[in-house]
Amino acid sequence: MSTDTTTLPVGRYAYDQVDRTFLSQRVAQFREQVARRVAGDLSEDEFKPLRLMNGLYLQLHAYMLRVAVPYGMMGSDQMRALAHIARTYDRDYGHFTTRQNMQFNWIRLEDTPDILELLARVDMHAIQTSGNCIRNVTCDEFAGAAADELLDPRIHAEILRQWSTLHPEFSFLPRKFKIAISGSPHDRVAARFHDIGLVARPGPQGRPVFDVFVGGGLGRTPIIGVKLRDNLPEEDLVAYLEAIVRVYNAYGRRDNMYKARIKILVQALGVEAFREKVDAEFALMNRADYRLDPAIVAGIRARFGIPPLEAPADADRTLAAARRTDPAFDRWVRTNTHPHRHEGFICAVISVKPDGGIPGDITADQMDLVADLADSHSFGEIRVTHMQNVVLGHVRKDQLHELWQKLVAARLATPNIGLVGDIIACPGLDYCALANARSIPIAQKLSARFANPELQERIGPLNINISGCINACGHHHAGHIGILGVDKRGQEFFQLTLGGSAGGDVAIGQILGPALPEDETVDAIARLIDTYLVLRHDNEQFLDTYRRLGAASFKDAVYAPA
Amino acid sequence: MDVRNNRRDETGASVITANRLLDGRIVWLSAQGWSELISHARVFGNSEIESAIKQASTAAAARTVVGIYGVQLDPDAAGITPLTVRERIRAFGPTVHPDFAPVETQDVH
Ligand code: HEM
Ligand code: SF4
Repeated sequence: MSTDTTTLPVGRYAYDQVDRTFLSQRVAQFREQVARRVAGDLSEDEFKPLRLMNGLYLQLHAYMLRVAVPYGMMGSDQMRALAHIARTYDRDYGHFTTRQNMQFNWIRLEDTPDILELLARVDMHAIQTSGNCIRNVTCDEFAGAAADELLDPRIHAEILRQWSTLHPEFSFLPRKFKIAISGSPHDRVAARFHDIGLVARPGPQGRPVFDVFVGGGLGRTPIIGVKLRDNLPEEDLVAYLEAIVRVYNAYGRRDNMYKARIKILVQALGVEAFREKVDAEFALMNRADYRLDPAIVAGIRARFGIPPLEAPADADRTLAAARRTDPAFDRWVRTNTHPHRHEGFICAVISVKPDGGIPGDITADQMDLVADLADSHSFGEIRVTHMQNVVLGHVRKDQLHELWQKLVAARLATPNIGLVGDIIACPGLDYCALANARSIPIAQKLSARFANPELQERIGPLNINISGCINACGHHHAGHIGILGVDKRGQEFFQLTLGGSAGGDVAIGQILGPALPEDETVDAIARLIDTYLVLRHDNEQFLDTYRRLGAASFKDAVYAPA
Repeated sequence: MDVRNNRRDETGASVITANRLLDGRIVWLSAQGWSELISHARVFGNSEIESAIKQASTAAAARTVVGIYGVQLDPDAAGITPLTVRERIRAFGPTVHPDFAPVETQDVH
């Protein structure tokens, strides 16, 4: 394997022959298991855990395959493979999830071994995208690019991926386990809504240190993670995480799946007692076995391709001129870009939330286009965001206008990032076997209702998050406005929560009142937003108005329309 | 199986459903076997549905499907229409993609 990072795929970890052999053996194994199931040699009860270990669920209408995108990073070749799978084996589209993965909703069991083989050819798989194990580690969508970044979290995300993949001790935890890592002081990964959230920064001598949060999560019992320790040195990262997961594995409840997450354990023991147990485990471990020496980290880092960031000196001026002459472009730059650490570059967010569209759904043709644009404008590198959008991480400022024009043509330039139209929605009752109500139609109606970009900018930052059931895959507790589908005798109702936030000012939304029938929900939310526009101080954001005034001011608008 | 799926009144009528093993698609028990169309489904009175589900589950054809259960019908609807939103979506396809609704095929097996 070459260690010349300029020839490696940019932004992601380069597989070697060992990784590839492992994947192809795994595909062959699953092919065999599928054949045995089809022949009737395995019952559904025997087969189900085997398919789940390969990310294959049985959902409402068909099998659903969840493909892992490690920390949301992929290459154009991988995106093209996903497009090919969508076209050949699905109904021409895929769906980005809040955990930075991609799901296909219309997969046939029979085709799955072939699909996994296609994925393996581009160094992808669906391992540990399901089951009670450590799931895909998520990270900042602007990793390695953001101007505000202190430390590139992908290197440690990759280390954790390698540590957790098929970890023999952690393949059957009490429940699924989610880790997120950020290297920016601005939390873009919802670190405190994860089983373990890590916030990295440079410590003494520039060596990374980590703040470790534990026991956060959404679902039936939403809890904000607590800080377990500050300044964990890099060399102890794996040992300390292993100690945490070991304590969870030993003490986490297995009798009741609703109480099996680490958040319940941390609450039950109390943070102090939990920390003592972790520290005791940590003290017993042979730390030398786990030590992350700088050489090991450097070896991992060396397998990430580094983009050659060279832009003309007047890139900035070219961009400014284009913004002056094209107001629609100017608006998109305001809403859909993020400052890059390199002067001549910028991060572009491709909204996968067209007005009235299905949040996170992307067609095969759009995937191919994104792959082409990644090649032409971002060193072949693509990131999936936890908001179900896509980021091109390193776009030259002088080429941004051209990129935007191509996105406009493909309906991928909706200027709504962070605004009302940027709704997170889980698949809900249209696809999900666990759902109580549909999420997608509410998202579609809301985003169509607020399609006017001027209105969206006037309303300002506002996250609407929708889940079709209490599992909270759509993060409704963390939405400024959260919408939760509930079932009342077979009919859809929606409960509103207000004031949630996933960022640095993390909060769990408060339930506003009784759930609303489906046909009243969108109007009620529109009235709620109108009320905010009336009550806000100059340029005050929704969350601040809500925090200043409390729920009462909004209750009337929702429940007692004039 | 989720109890919610088996919730039904004492009176009324139900049909029997499952997912096909090979492709996961929703199927309904018809007089000739499992069909993709609910309009082909055989309608049972709720008093006989439990034994019909049991029978369907032990039949040889049960090997080709997974998750067999009964679905209560809406007594006021014109055709064969499930009572709950969930089962209507299963029967008629995702509401957000009318183009993905099940289509008439001869595929009864
Ligand atoms: C359609 C198949 C899906 C199934 C069966 C499913 C199942 C679940 C379940 C059972 C939980 C609750 C876990 C617990 O509290 O122990 C959960 C939580 C969650 N799921 Fe999903 N989910 C699905 C799709 C998705 C999608 C599409 C996303 C992203 C859009 C997602 C992201 C999440 C997140 C973020 C949580 C909350 C995690 C937490 O509590 O820490 N899931 N899911
Ligand atoms: S929140 Fe519920 S309905 Fe939505 S995807 Fe998760 S499990 Fe399904």
